[in-house]
Amino acid sequence: MTETRTIDVGEGAAIPSKSDWGLFNAWTISIVGAVGAILYLILTQPAPYKRIIYYLADGVVITFQVTVMSILCACCIGLIVGLGRVSKNKAINLVASTYVEIIRGIPLLVQLFYIYYALGRFLNVHDLTAAIIAMSVCYGAYMGEVFRAGITAIDKGQTEAARSLGFNTKQTMFLVILPQAWRTILPPVGNEFIALLKDTSLVSILAVSDLLRRGREFSSETFLYFETYTMVALVYLVITLILSKGVSFMEARLSHYVRH
Amino acid sequence: MSATNAPIVDIRHVHKSFGSLKALNNVSMSMSLGEKVVIIGPSGSGKSTLLRSINKLETVDAGTIIVDGHDINAPTTDINKLRMELGMVFQSFNLFPHKTVLENLTLAPMKLKGMSKDVAETMALKLLDKVGIKDKAHQYPSQLSGGQQQRVAIARALAMSPKIMLFDEPTSALDPEMIGEVLDVMVTLAKEGMTMAVVTHEMGFAREVADRVVFMDHGTIIEQGTPEHFFTSPEHERTKLFLSQIL
Ligand SMILES: Nc1ncnc2c1ncn2[C@@H]1O[C@H](COP(=O)(O)OP(=O)(O)O)[C@@H](O)[C@H]1O
Ligand SMILES: [Mg+2]
Repeated sequence: MTETRTIDVGEGAAIPSKSDWGLFNAWTISIVGAVGAILYLILTQPAPYKRIIYYLADGVVITFQVTVMSILCACCIGLIVGLGRVSKNKAINLVASTYVEIIRGIPLLVQLFYIYYALGRFLNVHDLTAAIIAMSVCYGAYMGEVFRAGITAIDKGQTEAARSLGFNTKQTMFLVILPQAWRTILPPVGNEFIALLKDTSLVSILAVSDLLRRGREFSSETFLYFETYTMVALVYLVITLILSKGVSFMEARLSHYVRH
Repeated sequence: MSATNAPIVDIRHVHKSFGSLKALNNVSMSMSLGEKVVIIGPSGSGKSTLLRSINKLETVDAGTIIVDGHDINAPTTDINKLRMELGMVFQSFNLFPHKTVLENLTLAPMKLKGMSKDVAETMALKLLDKVGIKDKAHQYPSQLSGGQQQRVAIARALAMSPKIMLFDEPTSALDPEMIGEVLDVMVTLAKEGMTMAVVTHEMGFAREVADRVVFMDHGTIIEQGTPEHFFTSPEHERTKLFLSQIL
């Protein structure tokens, strides 16, 4: 089943497919180029670039934190929403669908502002936590759609076979359907991971000192706009490329049972 | 319900519609313990719907279905528990592709009956031996031929030690050369005394195994009887027409 591997990449770095794991592919060229450029700049012009990279380091940690936490939360929300969307219970189904509808109808940046300030105002949650919640709520809806698609893609006969053996709905879902759905879900989820990673740059508008915000702070103090943003872009590129490789590695591992 | 002579499956005046289409129209049929009933009829006549309503994969609109003394539609009936007594084999096998053959057999007994892994695997290997594919125990379903997959599917159903086996055209998706190996397993099962309801177009099997043949058309049972009666002196025109087309 190779068709699960070919994915339409609308945005974000492409998840490398198995067939282009050679030396001369876009991924290798990009990562070598990006890492090479960073090293070259630091070594040849340490004056601005070494300072920049030191200053950005804290931001990388924050970006990483926001990304990982948001991915984990968004996956949980996504699973719940996906299950809700395929639920026979009308009320649950409606709640899940409405959530997805609302989230998809509002630009991410607006949602970020809204959730961030709403949380700050009513719950006194601030900064990093609020940013993570906002990202998760938003991406949870996207992931929910991916999960729903993955679940509904599994043949109806699987459910019937499980139910006829005596499994209840929940057992059928967790023992039979979801373990198979991962395979179809993972590539688009991987794309969402990468898109999420890049979208975390939006939290720089809030009071979160992520990679982009650190860059903005540094450049507005030193007026080294070009140098700073060159570094910021290169660092984002490296992180994104590493994540995309990780996702494709995970995919290869998870599709073991359809090898052959 | 009297215990001794009560039928193990009792279907009474069952109706089922899909939209405006009447798939089952006032169908009544019963099966006694150990009986083998073969259901035949043209495509779309409601055979699958009837079979699938016995284990409630389809819920009927009206009428009652009693299985082993339990009304399957009664709110007090635990359908999941009742389904453990009803093994089902599908036309499209429906093995779990993410599990090995052995795991396909052990999953339900372990999760639903609390059987230990050792016990479940020993039993599963015995069943695989019985259907003649013990050597494939550690392969995945996708590595097996259709006939082998269907034999695994039968073994998987048997692993729950059901009282009744339901077969919905178990050989219709198979290449001709693989039909025999599946029918052989079913014949063996029948000889061991299993209660079976089989939807099939294999008339040889019906002749050899059936205690009773049921002919359906347009959602109703047109006639039923022993294979001798059925194949030599059918009463209804529609039955004769169908038999003339298929034999
Ligand atoms: N889930 C369903 N939705 C709509 N129509 C169905 C469904 N299942 C069966 N039918 C219809 O009901 C009729 C009987 O179907 P079925 O029991 O599968 O017939 P058979 O197994 O004898 O070929 C057919 O006309 C079929 O199209
Ligand atoms: Mg059918």
